Amino acid sequence: MASGRDQRVELLQGTLDLIVLRALATMGPQHAYGLTARLEQVADHPLELNQGTLYPALVRLEQQGLIKGTWQKTESNRDAKYYAITKAGQRALEKQTARWRRLAGLVDKLLLGES
Amino acid sequence: MRRFLFRLLNVVRPGRAEDELARETAAHLALLEQDYQRRGMTPDEARAAARRAFGGVEQMKDRQRDARSFAWLDDARWDLRHAARLLRRDPLFTLTAVLSLAIGIGANTTIFTVAQAVLFRPPAGVAGPAQLVDIGTRTPGGGFGNSSYPNYLDLRARTTTLDGVYAYSLFPRAMSLGAESGTPGTERIFGTLVTANYFHVLGAVPVVGRLFSDQAGSDEADAVVLSHRFWMRRFNGDPGIVGRTMTLNERSVTVIGVASEGFQGTGIRAGDAWVTLTAAASASTLSARASAWLLLGGRLKPGVSAPQAAAEVDAIGRALAVEYPDQNRGLGLRVQRLSPVPGSSAPIAVFLALLMSIVALVLVIACANVAGVLLARASARRQEIAVRLAMGAGRSRLVRQLLAETLMLFSLGGAAGLLLARWLTSTIVAALPALPFPVNVSVALDLRAVLFTAALVCAAALLSGLAPALQASKADVVPALKDDAQAPARVRLRHAFVVAQVAFSILLVVVAGLFVRALQAAGASDPGFDRRGVELASLDLSMAGYSGTTGLQFVRELTERVRALPDVQAASIATSVPGGFEVQRRGVTVPGVTPPDGARAFDVDWNNVEPGYFAALHIPLASGRDFTPADRAGAPLVAIVGEGTARRFWPGQDPIGKQIVQQEFGARGPDPTAAKMLLIVGVARDVKASTLIDGLSSSLVYVPLQQQYLSRITILARTTRGQRIADELRAVVVSLNRNLPIVTSQTLEDATAIGLVPQQIVVSVAGGLGLIGALLAAIGIYGVAAYAVTRRTREIGIRMALGAQRADVVAMVLHQGVWLAIIGSAIGLLLAAGASRALVAFLFGIAPLDPVIFGGAAVLFAIVGLAACYWPARRATRIDPLTALRYE
Repeated sequence: MASGRDQRVELLQGTLDLIVLRALATMGPQHAYGLTARLEQVADHPLELNQGTLYPALVRLEQQGLIKGTWQKTESNRDAKYYAITKAGQRALEKQTARWRRLAGLVDKLLLGES
Repeated sequence: MRRFLFRLLNVVRPGRAEDELARETAAHLALLEQDYQRRGMTPDEARAAARRAFGGVEQMKDRQRDARSFAWLDDARWDLRHAARLLRRDPLFTLTAVLSLAIGIGANTTIFTVAQAVLFRPPAGVAGPAQLVDIGTRTPGGGFGNSSYPNYLDLRARTTTLDGVYAYSLFPRAMSLGAESGTPGTERIFGTLVTANYFHVLGAVPVVGRLFSDQAGSDEADAVVLSHRFWMRRFNGDPGIVGRTMTLNERSVTVIGVASEGFQGTGIRAGDAWVTLTAAASASTLSARASAWLLLGGRLKPGVSAPQAAAEVDAIGRALAVEYPDQNRGLGLRVQRLSPVPGSSAPIAVFLALLMSIVALVLVIACANVAGVLLARASARRQEIAVRLAMGAGRSRLVRQLLAETLMLFSLGGAAGLLLARWLTSTIVAALPALPFPVNVSVALDLRAVLFTAALVCAAALLSGLAPALQASKADVVPALKDDAQAPARVRLRHAFVVAQVAFSILLVVVAGLFVRALQAAGASDPGFDRRGVELASLDLSMAGYSGTTGLQFVRELTERVRALPDVQAASIATSVPGGFEVQRRGVTVPGVTPPDGARAFDVDWNNVEPGYFAALHIPLASGRDFTPADRAGAPLVAIVGEGTARRFWPGQDPIGKQIVQQEFGARGPDPTAAKMLLIVGVARDVKASTLIDGLSSSLVYVPLQQQYLSRITILARTTRGQRIADELRAVVVSLNRNLPIVTSQTLEDATAIGLVPQQIVVSVAGGLGLIGALLAAIGIYGVAAYAVTRRTREIGIRMALGAQRADVVAMVLHQGVWLAIIGSAIGLLLAAGASRALVAFLFGIAPLDPVIFGGAAVLFAIVGLAACYWPARRATRIDPLTALRYE
């Protein structure tokens, strides 16, 4: 884990929420361990994601009603809290994705368009 | 919004979320472990690797907690629970701190409530009180005087700034109320005489029936309006009361309505009923322009300000003084905003401000005490605080925690203080001396009092707790961790607190002592008569319809029967009682002597008495004789003067045989046909005519009641052993006339004591609080000395090991405590000297820098300081050098 440290990308709070919602939408219900594992798998650059930011994000999203957590059994018959995206979460995901796309496009144009 | 509610829920019930989080974390770690085990690690290696991969568990939990609830509220909850635990651990400190705070806060709340009730209470049942004003005459000394009916009528006719001017009698008058004429038996009620437009201008509404109407022409001569309280008490709120006829002072009247609940006019004097002036007052009183017995009030016209009205009223007053120079000499009319105590607002406010500053001092002392101890405890926790600071706790977080402890302590004190205030206000009302008329002052604790207490608690907590909290949380980490010697700044602050305590306590004790001396001086000074062992009973013969001749007959019989009572050694009847509040003043001219200052006549205090008056009150006659039964109607008119009067009229001459002319003032000035020539037959020693605090009256004139009849009389009966005979007197009156109620019944001592009530209140309050302050100061000094011994145990052990004697150790301990006491006393005595200068007006008869009081207070506090240091000194001498050297 020591190498590639400077290549790690720090996430803004709002974008982490978006990424979690997207991950749950595509991968279906996950528990926290599963989320961490999958996200590290999918991303090209490893995310600066420690549990200190993930758990607060999960409780935020749950309090806002965008995801819902339920206790279920894993394949190995252990207890784990699975988070699933809700209908409200789907709608928020679409809206926020569109906004992110617009923002990214704008920043792109401003940063690169002048060069 | 939804998130807000969830976060709030997690503040209040964190348990469930905490359990969930623990479960989830455990599950996550278990899954990680499982993963690592599958990769080939041993269970122990897997567990360690899982934890490393997870990262800081507690940090994660902390951040999750912050995200799921409101961090600062969580902190506050924790702070409060921690504070409660700390307080429980030291119950003695908690108890003394809460008690001293309760006394300080409770006393402040009580005075605040009383001030509210007496000075700021908006009158009930009155519409638009902000537009109402009181009108009175200018009196010497800045008071508010009464006006006469003719002056009132002129003012009402001429004013353009006031939309309605009303008048009412100064005190509710005792009257006898009976059922329909013919039925025997009456009771005494208190009625106020008012003008017909009184209710209308005040905007009062009746609860049944109607109130006086001020339509021109309607006389309302036989109408009476009842107060709500009287209606409920006496008639059980029966609506059928409207239209019922009764007798009032033997006159037939009809009840036309009942005022709304709580309505008592604009002042604090409470009555049972209202009748119109024109119906109940005699024609001569109504037409006498010089007879001032009414208070006036009015409503400002819309858009008119009080100063504008005051200017106009003043101009009208001056015009009246020019038009009627004899009766209205020096008339100055003043206008003031409506107040429950018209004209007396200023002196009462000053008195209450004095009380308020006294109790504020006590609160300051209590706060200083608590602050000092908090500082000491914070010092003892220096290590704990230093460790927390080193581990990254923010200074503001620590200050918040320390403040939370202070706030909890002060809140407990405030709650206890509210209870104390509740008890105090109810006992104050019960302890007031019986006034000759009922008053309506509600000193119940209301929302404003509670808010005041809360604000006081917060302010006091901040003031006392902030300095120690800031001190304790200073980031002086390294020396604290090494447990260095005591930080000088901290200790100095503590010492400053103790010095402040001693200073304020001694100030309170000195003030209380000064007032005690003033009261003693007032009581001991010779009032000119013996007021012990005399029973009084006041009657108003007009209530039973007596006239001049029948009344005098009644008076003679009454005096005989009272003298015949077995317990009575001497008795008489008079119209004024010396040392009480009621005085008659009249004008006299003296042939051959001109009154000073261009006045038309001398103003004298007047008393109509029966023979035996001077003997009953033990007033010696300097020369001449007392009145005899021969001085009756038809006989030559005589008078007795006081020594001061004799000196004033005929300095150096014998007054016996001289004459004075008693003037009567009619509508247009002195009425020569009514003037009476009086022959002086005796000279009596001077007495204090009204209130024992004022000096001896220097202008007393007595006339025989038999020659000058007045219906309001008082029986004075000196008993053989000083016992109460109120019931016997009542029985005598009833035996002569069943329909004549007794207006007031009290002893002469009680009647003369009313003037001293303010001083007595200050003595009890200041004295009690001063002693409590001394106790608190002693606790403060003890705390400092005890703490010093604890801190310097090692040093003391070393000294003793090196040969110091017990005496040296004791001297070392005493030195600090006594030194603080001395400095505090010096400061306090200086403050007290300044205070006594400021209070000179209340402290008659004693020097402001009374050496007895000041010296006595200094000695008292020296003893207190020594006593407070006794225990720690004893403990210091018991220190075993061996254990002390090992003491950390």
